[in-house]
Amino acid sequence: MLGKKTRNIGTFALGLVLAIAVYLIPGMTGIADAKEAFAEQVFAEEAFAKEVLAEEAVEGEGEPEIEWGQDVFYKDWEGNPLKGPVSGYPAPELGPEDYNNYEFAPSRIILWVANQQHLYFGSFVLAVPIFCMLIEFIGIRVREEDPVMSGKYDRLAKDLMKVSLTAYSWTAILGGILLFTFITLFPGFFKYMAGIFRPVMHVYALMFLAESGVLYVYYYGWDKMNDDPFLKWVHCSLSVLLNLIGTVLMYLANSWATFMQAPGGIDSEGRFLGNIWHVIHSTLWNPVGVHRILGNIVFGGGIVGAYAAYHYLTAKNEEERAHYDWVCYVAMFICIFGLIPLPFAGYWLMKEVYAFRQQMGITLMGGIMAWLFIIQAVMIGLLFFAANSYLHNGMARVKGSHRYMKYCKYMVLLLICCFTMWMTPHTIVMTPAELKAMGGAQHPIVGHFGVMSAKNTAVNLMITTTILCFLLYQRANKKITVPWATVGNCWIAAIFVGAAANIIFLGVYGYALPANQRVGLSVPQVTTTLTTLFAGTAINISMFKNSESYGDIQWGTQSKVGTYAIFLLAISFTWLMGLMGYIRSAVRLFWHVTEVVRDNSVDAYTLTIGEAGKMLTFNTLFVWTQFVVVFWVGSLTGKSPVKTPVAVPVPAQQQQ
Amino acid sequence: MLPEQHDILFSFLSIVFAVFGVFVFGNVVLNCRERELSGGKMWGGVFGIFAIASFMMTVHMFSLNQGEQLSFFFSIYIWLIIVLLLTWGIFFKSNNIESQSPPIIRGFFFWTTVSVLLAGYTNWLPQQRSDPPPKEAAVVGDVTMEEFAEMGRVIIFGAKQVAGQKSIGKGQCPLCHTFDPGDHMGRCPNLFGVEKRSHDRIKEDRYLNLPMKIGETEPASGIVKGMPADIPEEYRRQNGPEELIGEDYIRESLMCPTCYVVTGFGKAGDTKSPMPVIVKPPISLSRVELNAVVAYLQSKDTPGEYASVTVPLPQDDAGNTGGAVVEEDSGGDEDAPTFVTGQEDIQAMINTLGCPLCHTIPGVEGAMGELGPKLHEKINAPKRIKDPNYKGNATNTKEYVRESILKPSAYVVYNEEAGESFPDGLMPTTFGQMLSVEALDKLVDFISQTEAPAGS
Repeated sequence: MLGKKTRNIGTFALGLVLAIAVYLIPGMTGIADAKEAFAEQVFAEEAFAKEVLAEEAVEGEGEPEIEWGQDVFYKDWEGNPLKGPVSGYPAPELGPEDYNNYEFAPSRIILWVANQQHLYFGSFVLAVPIFCMLIEFIGIRVREEDPVMSGKYDRLAKDLMKVSLTAYSWTAILGGILLFTFITLFPGFFKYMAGIFRPVMHVYALMFLAESGVLYVYYYGWDKMNDDPFLKWVHCSLSVLLNLIGTVLMYLANSWATFMQAPGGIDSEGRFLGNIWHVIHSTLWNPVGVHRILGNIVFGGGIVGAYAAYHYLTAKNEEERAHYDWVCYVAMFICIFGLIPLPFAGYWLMKEVYAFRQQMGITLMGGIMAWLFIIQAVMIGLLFFAANSYLHNGMARVKGSHRYMKYCKYMVLLLICCFTMWMTPHTIVMTPAELKAMGGAQHPIVGHFGVMSAKNTAVNLMITTTILCFLLYQRANKKITVPWATVGNCWIAAIFVGAAANIIFLGVYGYALPANQRVGLSVPQVTTTLTTLFAGTAINISMFKNSESYGDIQWGTQSKVGTYAIFLLAISFTWLMGLMGYIRSAVRLFWHVTEVVRDNSVDAYTLTIGEAGKMLTFNTLFVWTQFVVVFWVGSLTGKSPVKTPVAVPVPAQQQQ
Repeated sequence: MLPEQHDILFSFLSIVFAVFGVFVFGNVVLNCRERELSGGKMWGGVFGIFAIASFMMTVHMFSLNQGEQLSFFFSIYIWLIIVLLLTWGIFFKSNNIESQSPPIIRGFFFWTTVSVLLAGYTNWLPQQRSDPPPKEAAVVGDVTMEEFAEMGRVIIFGAKQVAGQKSIGKGQCPLCHTFDPGDHMGRCPNLFGVEKRSHDRIKEDRYLNLPMKIGETEPASGIVKGMPADIPEEYRRQNGPEELIGEDYIRESLMCPTCYVVTGFGKAGDTKSPMPVIVKPPISLSRVELNAVVAYLQSKDTPGEYASVTVPLPQDDAGNTGGAVVEEDSGGDEDAPTFVTGQEDIQAMINTLGCPLCHTIPGVEGAMGELGPKLHEKINAPKRIKDPNYKGNATNTKEYVRESILKPSAYVVYNEEAGESFPDGLMPTTFGQMLSVEALDKLVDFISQTEAPAGS
């Protein structure tokens, strides 16, 4: 797949599937277990607290002085608010003295820029080690049978790590800027957050130190640990450790944002109730974490893809063109694999948002943020178009792809139909005359596409089409020889046709149900799509056993449209990431911490869509300007050569 | 961003374009040297001028405010860049242009074009800014029941309504509830006929027993079901009979949504309501606000008829501690920050901003204020700019009008009739926060054209 060996396809694809499953399954299937465990934990905590109180009552002077507060989110096993000992101060009523500002821009905008830039870089430096881990692992696995390919993987992983190293320092600097921005412009709010998260912030700083240490050993020890097979495995293990620490770092930082959006572990006055885990592990913590990991993978893939696409365009010779074409493919492969499950993680997040506060969910999907979700729909459509465009164009350079190219136009047609449905708004702002002319806020025909039944159907069909396109790409240069080829093909066809029929049926059926029940249909629709992903990929890969090749992929012949499709994907995803971050944050409306700390600054309003759009574009352009600088700095030390045996120097005397 | 501040995106783009101008200059010079062109100096001069011009324009961008920056960028600067690109193309003519322009430049323009188009798309969509609701709605002195019910309506729907768009006030009720007969979005019950239902419901078996029995305490809200006397004192009904009445049901539904869940609209087998407790954050209605909402719900199905309203007016409410009653001179609606988007017609904009209170404005019905100067700016503005006492920065009528709106004290007009200047400091200095860029432009355009009616 990533090179010449069919076997690699299976290894890499299965590796990715497993990696995604490892991230998703515990979060999505472990909820029931977690609830039970939570009930037990709550019981134990309360029993412990009672014991402590009883002891104090015995030892001390009569009644214990501990005050008990009711948690704003956590419930006990009977559904009553969980009680905890009050261990902090009430949330402050912020006044003008708690906000500072500069004249050139509102504080909120400055903070937004600082935050977003840090997040973009943070995403990148967290994603690259995931890539390097996978790529280095594949390199080790193919070392014996194809040393050249193995060296190529190793070089790619190291080159990516080199870029990441510069980006890592940059991220830390941006983090410092963000911290100072918080402290200087929002001192009152930051004081409250620091009071609650004091230990988490210190652990975060220590984890950063650990991350730096492992990163430096991992990168600078690359060559020294490259030759000995055992040391190479140790080196690869370091990448696992690096990713683990990185994930913990991200989850710790996420806890601040998720606490602000859906707090837990405090009472209604904002007083900390003594359990830091409750504060960290608020209701949105897990879905945001999973969503961000997948988002980071896609974003990282987009950046590496754009980096490689740029080098592909500037390549001086065929060898370089072939190399960067291949790197583009690897990056896009990872990117698309992250992109496919991303909407499902989004569903999970939104489900939890609705569970936390229904009106927050409705503000997002049907209130003031609804238009932003239409924009999101457009962006997701762009992403899928870009991904499919790359696959279609990439397929053209694969010998044997003529068998499947004829289907591309139908897939594009389907994508266009779904995209149109996906971006149709439920209602739009109109003049009274327009409203009267249309006979209501919803168009009598097109209006039907504005509801979630149609939208879920559309996006699931788009994802299914992309999966199909990807499977065709995988098998483009393969002549299937397994005896059960016909059966396998029938199964794949049946899975996709059945999936499409089921998705459409559920979508249509949704119109017959009330809105609150209709929402539940998204689960079987998503399950259907995931089935096509996992079952389709598994059958497809199984059919490659002993397959014959129509010829190697002609690396270095990628069309310019395909190259620019990668750029489009990278820009779209950067913009989309900013948009979704804005939506997630802005849904707090006029609260710093939802329902606990009110934003009393002059910037407490929600921006118009146009203002937000301009900021998103600025953030996108600004971060890419920085990426260009970082890549340029990274390139100053030159590329890692593919290691070749070094000739033993001969003394001059012997030459004579 | 406030109108007088810079536009962060276009400021950034102008900086990038200035760098681009210098880059092209360097590229041409290097190319001329490599190719040993005879006209190298000429080309260097041409592109040097472009580089200087783009640099100067970037500097100029930083002397403009947001609206002016947009106008300058799209009317002048962007054309300079297009001409620069064309000239660069001419320089490379028939010399494999594509390979001469580095991919970083092509990538940059692709990147910028896509991103700016996305920003353009967001600006093409309807613009609506959402301001935080006032912490507590205010009541001006004594109010009539009609005004009180109207206050409840504003809490539910907000003061401003946009056609075709759901209007949502502090109470956020329309996010889930509908109010008209036959209207049903499926999230929460339709509240048409709620006044009549409130009297019947309290007698139903289902109400008496599900999801909890009368007299039981609902843990999340702390309310004892069906016991009006046990409602927290700050919200407790002071007038009327001791037994449970329709008003109590409505109040209880607001303060304890889970005390009774309408079939099909709850969670966990209709035992829990998804509705927030309306007297707690994020809604946090006060006593007066809660009563106003009840008054609206009790009267909305019989427009103009308030006989069914049982809640007392704030001035007659024995339980009202006066927290929401304010002095006569600060109206209820005025507590909500005013913001004009520019989508409104000019008459509505001017009325919303309150200009007619002080100014006489030709073309605006009812704008006969005399506290400030008459707005005959088409003629007056050029004269004032030339006035030796003028200390502002405007050079033309529009700039003068814009400056007068944003910084009223930049020039205080002399009132010839009174023989003294109009009072300085009377005009608010907060219009920058009340106007979107589009609205400010629209207002400036209109006022710049105002002149005394013929014959006056």
